[in-house]
Amino acid sequence: MNHLGEQISALIDGELAGADLDRANAHLAGCGRCRAEAAELRQLKRDLRALFDFNSDDGLTGRLLAMADPDLPEGPVPSRRLPGEQYRRELPSYDSRDKRPPRGRNPARTRRSRGRYVLWSAISLFVIGVGTAAFTMGGAGGSAAPGPKITPQLEMFSVEHAMISGDVPVPEPTEPAGGVTSP
Amino acid sequence: MMPALPLVRRPRLGLLIAAAVTITVPSLLAILALVGHEQPAPVVRASGTSLGGGSPPSGLGMRLLGKSAAAGTAASYQGVELIAQRSVSGPQTIVSEVWHRGGLTVTQTSDTGMVASSQPYVSYDVGDRSPEGVFGLTKTLVALLGKHYVAVYQGTGLAAGRPALIVELNRPDGSLAARFWLDKQTMVPLRRDVYDTSARLVSQEAFVQVQFGALTPAPTAAATVAAPAGSQWAAAPVPALLVTQLNQVGWQLPAALPGGLPLYTAARSQTGTGQVVDLCYSDGLSVVSLFVQRGTLAPKPAGWQQVSAGGHQVYVAGQSVIWSGGGFVYTMLADASPQVVTQVVAALPQDTAPGVIERIRRGLERLGAIVDPFR
Repeated sequence: MNHLGEQISALIDGELAGADLDRANAHLAGCGRCRAEAAELRQLKRDLRALFDFNSDDGLTGRLLAMADPDLPEGPVPSRRLPGEQYRRELPSYDSRDKRPPRGRNPARTRRSRGRYVLWSAISLFVIGVGTAAFTMGGAGGSAAPGPKITPQLEMFSVEHAMISGDVPVPEPTEPAGGVTSP
Repeated sequence: MMPALPLVRRPRLGLLIAAAVTITVPSLLAILALVGHEQPAPVVRASGTSLGGGSPPSGLGMRLLGKSAAAGTAASYQGVELIAQRSVSGPQTIVSEVWHRGGLTVTQTSDTGMVASSQPYVSYDVGDRSPEGVFGLTKTLVALLGKHYVAVYQGTGLAAGRPALIVELNRPDGSLAARFWLDKQTMVPLRRDVYDTSARLVSQEAFVQVQFGALTPAPTAAATVAAPAGSQWAAAPVPALLVTQLNQVGWQLPAALPGGLPLYTAARSQTGTGQVVDLCYSDGLSVVSLFVQRGTLAPKPAGWQQVSAGGHQVYVAGQSVIWSGGGFVYTMLADASPQVVTQVVAALPQDTAPGVIERIRRGLERLGAIVDPFR
């Protein structure tokens, strides 16, 4: 009995037609070995389809690949999830490395970097500005709270001191502030 | 209650006064320079005259000082006082015309530099008090003297050309602190010399001319001068309580000063820049008035000399010292030795140059106070 052999793959792929398709189906009806082989090939094909669907939606993989060392050899990314790594190597069109732009030229990444620079520059300018203002304002006087500028009224104080000390008032170092001159 | 007593300095001095000052001032300065630097206080012994005979010397001396304090208020006199003293900024001489009768005192004070230029110094007292004594002899201060010193009657001498009784004040260790000349007839003080603990003469106050009894009319300016507003002082009934209350709300007021000067009176007043508190500390001989008000010292006050005292930068004019610290401005008027003044300045808050972190922290607080509408 001749088994289907290479025709099983063509049958699964829908490449047989006419008398060849009838003969293949008639053989499968009576041959358990070829049915089993055909079932195995179908299952394998479904697995491969599922694999490709996963890779096409995995943005994380793409980002990780973009960060990978450019010296890595070209080829598909090994996956621990899926068996049959060799099938992926046969399908380079699904390799997400093909989608990766040249390093440092990703527009989205460039926009994010520029935003960070602007943010950090603004923060730095704010801190430096506030620090400079605080340093300047913190220099005069000894109190944390601003207060009035005082010019002691020595004339008034001197008279009060004289009242208590039983002595004559002392003159101010300059002309009496706001005072009255003698006639 | 005593009437309102304006203190007025008149612009003119007579030729006699000018001559007396011209001769006396350099002499006193020379005496201060010589005695203060090199020689201990001279010892004046009693000339042999005895008063009363039966009282112990110390008790007699204190009684004489008490009588002198009362006489300074009750007697009528006029004359010219000369005050030469050491301060942290150097020697200072003050000439003052004094006219006193019936509780009214009129003074015209100028320093020696002002005599030549005839630039008068005018001040007023708008309260109901006037100088209670002469040369630091008031009833209150005499009471304090009795607690800190021993007064010893030393006999008689001369002062301002008049017979005088001499009373010395000694510290508990026996060193001479001061010497008084009291007019033998009226008991009004005629002269006072004060010495520091190193026996150096730190101040000398004396009448260079004095007249008792029939006086010339009071200076006309005394009757025409209007009292300026805003200088009313309200005495605190319990000075220590006022200090405690203010310290609880952020003030930094000492309960006593170095040099054994306890707080003995306090008063407060309102000025255009806020409240001013006057604290007086004394042992009866040295008197320190400390005026404290919130704020910061205006930069470069005119006429004041910046010096280092007590390890801090302060401004000095004669016996007056001003500085700021901790958000307050301190003005100290001291009838005390430079040694005591320096100790007091060192003991009170001072503004020091902050480090970078402290300066930024302080500035941030100030910025916060500006932008925070609830502060």
